Amino acid sequence: VAISTPAPTETRTVSLTIDGLQVTVPEGTTIWQAAKDAGIEIPVLCHDERYDPVGVCRLCVVDVGARVYAASCVRPCEDGMEVRTDTPELERNRAQLTELLLVDQPPTAEDPKETTTADNELHVLVRRYGLDQDASALPRGQGRGEDRSNPVIAVDHDACILCDRCVRACDDIQGNDVIGRSGKGYATLIAFDLNDPMGESSCVTCGECVAACPTGALTNKPINDVPIRPREELRQVESVCPYCGVGCALTFNVDDERGAIAYADGREQPGSQRRLCVKGRYGWDYTFSKQRLTTPLIRRESSYPKGPLSSDVRGDERRRRRKPGGLVDYDEVMPHFREATWEEALDLVASRLKAIHEESGPKAIAGFGSAKCTNEEAYLFQKLIRAGFGTNNVDHCTRLCHASSVAALFEGVGSGAVSTTYGDVVNADVAILAGTNTTANHPVASSFFKQARRRGTKLIVVDPRRERIADHADIYCAIKPGTDVAFYNGVMHEVIRLGLVDREFIADRTSNYDALAKLLEDYTPERTEQITGIDADTIRLVARLWGEAGAGVIYWGMGISQHTTGTDNARCLIAMCAITGHVGRPGTGLHPLRGQNNVQGASDAGLIPMFYPDYQPVDAESARNRFEAAWGRELDPERGLTVTEIVASALHGGVRGMYMMGENPFLSDPNINKVRKALSALDFLVVQDIFLTETAEFADVVLPATSALEKDGTYTNTDRRVQIGHKVLDPPGQARPDWQIVQDIANRVGLPMDYADPSEIFDELVSLMPNYTGLGYDNLGPSGKLYPNPDPEHSDGTVVLFDENFGTDDGLAHLVPAEWMPAKELPSDEYPFILNTGRLLEHWHTGSMTRRSFALDSIQPEAHVFMNPDDARAMGVADGDFVRVSSRRGTIELRARLSHRDTPGTCFIPFHFREAAANLLTIDEIDPFGKIPEFKFCAVKIERAGGTAAHEAQSAREGA
Amino acid sequence: MEVVQPRYPGTEARAGKFPGPSLIPALNAIQRRCGWLPRDELVTLSREVRRPLYEIEGLISFYPHFRTTEPKTVEVAVCHDLTCWLHGSDERIAEAKARYGDDVEVELVEVSCLGRCDIAPAAAVDERPLAFADADEAVEAARGGTHGDAHAKRGEEPRPNDPYAAGEERYRVLRRALAGDLGADAMVATLKESELRGMGGAGFPTGQKWEIVAAQEPTPKYTVCNADESEPGTFKDRQILAEQPHLVFEGMLLGMLVTGCEEGWVFIRHEYGPEEDVLRAEIEALRSEGLLGDDVLGSGRRLQVEIFTSPGGYILGEESALLECMEGHRGEPRNKPPFPGLYGLWGKPTLMNSVETFADVPIILERGAEWWKEQGVNGATGLKFFAVSGHVERPDVYCVRAGSTARDLIELAGGVTGGREVGAIQPGGASSNFLGPGQLDVPLDWKPLQEAGSMLGSGALIVMAEGTDLLAAGTNVLRFFRDESCGKCVPCRVGSAKAHAMLSELLGQGKGVEDVAGEIAQLEETLRKTSICGLGQVALGPVLSVIGMDRGGAAAREHPKDREDTET
Repeated sequence: VAISTPAPTETRTVSLTIDGLQVTVPEGTTIWQAAKDAGIEIPVLCHDERYDPVGVCRLCVVDVGARVYAASCVRPCEDGMEVRTDTPELERNRAQLTELLLVDQPPTAEDPKETTTADNELHVLVRRYGLDQDASALPRGQGRGEDRSNPVIAVDHDACILCDRCVRACDDIQGNDVIGRSGKGYATLIAFDLNDPMGESSCVTCGECVAACPTGALTNKPINDVPIRPREELRQVESVCPYCGVGCALTFNVDDERGAIAYADGREQPGSQRRLCVKGRYGWDYTFSKQRLTTPLIRRESSYPKGPLSSDVRGDERRRRRKPGGLVDYDEVMPHFREATWEEALDLVASRLKAIHEESGPKAIAGFGSAKCTNEEAYLFQKLIRAGFGTNNVDHCTRLCHASSVAALFEGVGSGAVSTTYGDVVNADVAILAGTNTTANHPVASSFFKQARRRGTKLIVVDPRRERIADHADIYCAIKPGTDVAFYNGVMHEVIRLGLVDREFIADRTSNYDALAKLLEDYTPERTEQITGIDADTIRLVARLWGEAGAGVIYWGMGISQHTTGTDNARCLIAMCAITGHVGRPGTGLHPLRGQNNVQGASDAGLIPMFYPDYQPVDAESARNRFEAAWGRELDPERGLTVTEIVASALHGGVRGMYMMGENPFLSDPNINKVRKALSALDFLVVQDIFLTETAEFADVVLPATSALEKDGTYTNTDRRVQIGHKVLDPPGQARPDWQIVQDIANRVGLPMDYADPSEIFDELVSLMPNYTGLGYDNLGPSGKLYPNPDPEHSDGTVVLFDENFGTDDGLAHLVPAEWMPAKELPSDEYPFILNTGRLLEHWHTGSMTRRSFALDSIQPEAHVFMNPDDARAMGVADGDFVRVSSRRGTIELRARLSHRDTPGTCFIPFHFREAAANLLTIDEIDPFGKIPEFKFCAVKIERAGGTAAHEAQSAREGA
Repeated sequence: MEVVQPRYPGTEARAGKFPGPSLIPALNAIQRRCGWLPRDELVTLSREVRRPLYEIEGLISFYPHFRTTEPKTVEVAVCHDLTCWLHGSDERIAEAKARYGDDVEVELVEVSCLGRCDIAPAAAVDERPLAFADADEAVEAARGGTHGDAHAKRGEEPRPNDPYAAGEERYRVLRRALAGDLGADAMVATLKESELRGMGGAGFPTGQKWEIVAAQEPTPKYTVCNADESEPGTFKDRQILAEQPHLVFEGMLLGMLVTGCEEGWVFIRHEYGPEEDVLRAEIEALRSEGLLGDDVLGSGRRLQVEIFTSPGGYILGEESALLECMEGHRGEPRNKPPFPGLYGLWGKPTLMNSVETFADVPIILERGAEWWKEQGVNGATGLKFFAVSGHVERPDVYCVRAGSTARDLIELAGGVTGGREVGAIQPGGASSNFLGPGQLDVPLDWKPLQEAGSMLGSGALIVMAEGTDLLAAGTNVLRFFRDESCGKCVPCRVGSAKAHAMLSELLGQGKGVEDVAGEIAQLEETLRKTSICGLGQVALGPVLSVIGMDRGGAAAREHPKDREDTET
């Protein structure tokens, strides 16, 4: 267990007096900091300890005995300095500076900050100096305007004091590089991009600038008319962001009078360090949607035989909705269900599942849990399926994201979790970001990557699509899609040829190196260039950087895993780290960036068909015995079916009854037409969710559940950080926490459960999960703890794993050579484009949450296919034109967006949008080891859809 | 777990400042190709060089050279600053506005001082400087696509600071140094002994500055010649560049030898096009003589000198703003310390001297410190260039014995125009405090001027005849500083604008000095004590000195630029 602690270095000190107080500080300390540490507060507006100083507001000036005053925020202490911070002359000039700023401010009664959060830092000084805007002799300026083009952030230039805090927040903290100064002198303004309206700029609405702004220049707009009020008037709930695997800590400010959240703040936590992205800061209002399910629903007799209920989900071309955008049409679907009591609904679920179980045996039952639910719920759900129904047919969407990574990691290093944290990038000399659109999918983690690069870490980005992170790369390798194995093999070939392998590490810590080296012989830089399109010199350069680095780390995403060669891709990354010894030390290691807020925890808790909790194999007798003893039931000794296999099984009458807890496979799984048939074929489907999803259209019973904001529970992030999410508000109507619903069904199928609250469940799962040993609700604290954690009372936990041994049986890293194989469906004359799918920053998975968020839906209301401008030009397609994209499996229509990020011959479609569902096109070929589908590669054709808006044209034809 | 790269103590955040090469050359290339900076081009540039759009916006909105709208056929720039104002520029501008206001081919812009105060009121047609009186003719020619050649104005006789007779081979001192006959230590010692001080205004001892840079860790270090004088009334460096480019380069190359620099730049204001041509020709001459190159005259020393043309703005004359500009950032002065001698261009030790300072070096090293010191009068040492402008018969650049008085210079310049009496002078450029007619015999030297309540400043004597509205003159100067404020710090950005608005209103109401509110004095103190750089620190000084004169002499106080500790 290695927790990096920097070796203490000898620092010189300087001694000086501040207001007569003798202080000694390390050389380089600013006067402002030295004063603060000595208990002397010097007023300042432009400075914040999170940022490097700029010294522009001049309020922190102090008298050091020179001709002019010194800005204490930036001026270093010097030996023998005699500093005065509080003379009448200083205060007089600070008052004058404050007045200069005050006269151009909006009237206090209209100040965007004083009238909302009431914490305008300029006004604190105005009060300190007894100033009055109306009484000032200084003339008021002409007014500099405002910018309300962003849906959730208001810009008031009059209130701006040009302190550059937002500039530093945007650049130095988030690395988004959008805000700067425009103009000169008194006409200077903060500006976005080329002085564009904020809402039309490249701003990603992370809100870091709002959090940084000391005045009313950048403020949050109310969401859904919930007024923004001072924090003292609101209730603060410390919780965890419900979106991605980064698991940012945040605080919700709750307006209890209105039963709503007013706004969210980033909260201190060792990983996320108060940062948030647009989803975390502004995307929580889905939970207040009027479309929340509030009572149990039972399908009406008249709505059998089962099938999709809405025209969209039917894929009915003739009744396609005329306008793109929108969600499941409740008016169309709800009449097919009737409201029921919880008793009736739960009884029906239990009796139908029991009946199928009795008729067709355990293998006819399957359950999909969710990576959005808590650890406790994941644990309970798999316990119900395994112990209650005697089958291991339980899985969740990890199958669709990192199953191949986990397969390779288990095989190679004996653990599916990350070997180091995203924040550890700061200790790396070189970081490879492989197949990860990290600025969109892990925005806060990406901010640490970008920041590390500015501090000297070399960033190598490998991705066929030039994602935003590539703009920050030292080396960007635009490999041809599906050639990852060849690329990393080529790099390793060159690492070996240059003698940059870590021989000692290979000898002591790995096995099978010779076989790997043998296979790599063929991957010369020249051959690799032919396959990958990356020139041989770049491959040599990457190899040299990687091989010579003292510490190298790899972060990867779905671009690695979502391929039929996903496991091989990940094997290569493991080998990259192992042959160079880049694992087990600070700044080294393997980190598959986890997608969902709790995909790590759900997998840890056993929501996968081959493992009990903590990755104890279901086909290992000792493990089975342990769980049989704990749960008091005989368990299935065979591995269960995976997500994709369950869908296939349902098509052929194998799986007949399903319990879906918070999953929406209709949109998330490949080849939707096939999923539609499979869901229709089920004898019984119970869907438990917070909204009526596309999948729920096939349900016999729909159970209203709670969102993450309405229950207590723990979530485990990509770093292995286990955090408590606290309940913010009561659930709507009769909606109930998922764990209670699972417990009620368990009790009805003969598996007694009697948990009073989630902490009891947590204690049980910890007792069965060695890696979680020691953790409990009483020691997780406000910022959670990393596992493994030998001393959670005092330690944040283990950052770096594998410092001495790997998790494999023999403790060695198992190197697995992988030969490059082309993708399964290559482009052809008929289908000449390669389709890549993925996510957008603003949307989440199937959009059921984010498309119900005002901010996120406003920013990205509709689907686009992103294509290279040259390809578009050749087809006569302009930005915003409708095009028809077809594969051998389906067709969708959507607008084109011209994008230099996509190379010619490729296109990209986000999969969030039901009305243009990318997964109608994707191929359901799977990786043989991880069983993960090939979401990142299939062949499509793109045609002009005619006219400017195909849907409108179509409806016109219907009318004719 | 955080590893923070050590920052040089006192340096600022990198916000808005990007690693990698300056984008200014790329922007210049677009503007040359298109005539302006179309948005599409900027977006493409941003994508291709992977630099944020806001960085580009910061530059193009800061530097007046960059245009974001399509230009008209002809551009007429007219100066409205002090010397031109004294010569009736307000009226001439009003006439020009009437003439060209609706002309679709002509774009009339009011600009800050063009550095042509000797032909005031001055203008420039398509960046070619001329007297305002000749503008109409030039506009008509330009409509037809022809422009007169603009030549640098050059005197006939060598100035007294030039050791080379006409036709004599130059760069004698440099050759001796390269041959090893003149050691670095000896050169520093001579300069220190000569008491030569920086002529850009701050007056830092030159020998000491060279010694500091020489003592820094070797390679790379840089040398910059600051040829960005832009203060109203100031054009002496322009004339030195035009007449003595060989002395500027010789001094600069000697500085590079002494301090261990291989690369140097002359940073020249873009309004000095004709003078820049002279410099480029001189660089060619240097190359052909083998005095620039990778191994100069077989000495083993690499010496390279380039011209860096300023994209515009008085503030770039401030040494750290100049460096920010050269690095490709907005020209905003840095908080100091650290000073450029230790942390300069790209964070490396940088020797920066002004044109006149470098030009004085060869003769000092050839004739010795004693000779140099003997040239001064009234207790001063050496020679001094002055640009004399305003209400005098022969505005021009004069090289005189240091310590000469304003009266001497006015006499050299043919006396006050129309035989009038002196109303007031600014002895050291627009930023120096006004002195009254009773102070014309103060030696124009560092200490005497400081004691008189003003300063030697930028070596520009502006003469205002009796009857000039001095408060209006001071307000004109304030407008210049407001317009040229970079906007980085609050006191200068907001304070200069508020003070100017208050004074303009007062003048507009026909009021005078006695009506100036007390707030102006407090503002002056705040700007002087809390601004980051000299611009803000002096912006209100002249106005306050005018008020002081009316109340019995300029307020005798320490002036920011007079202290030696302001620069290393």
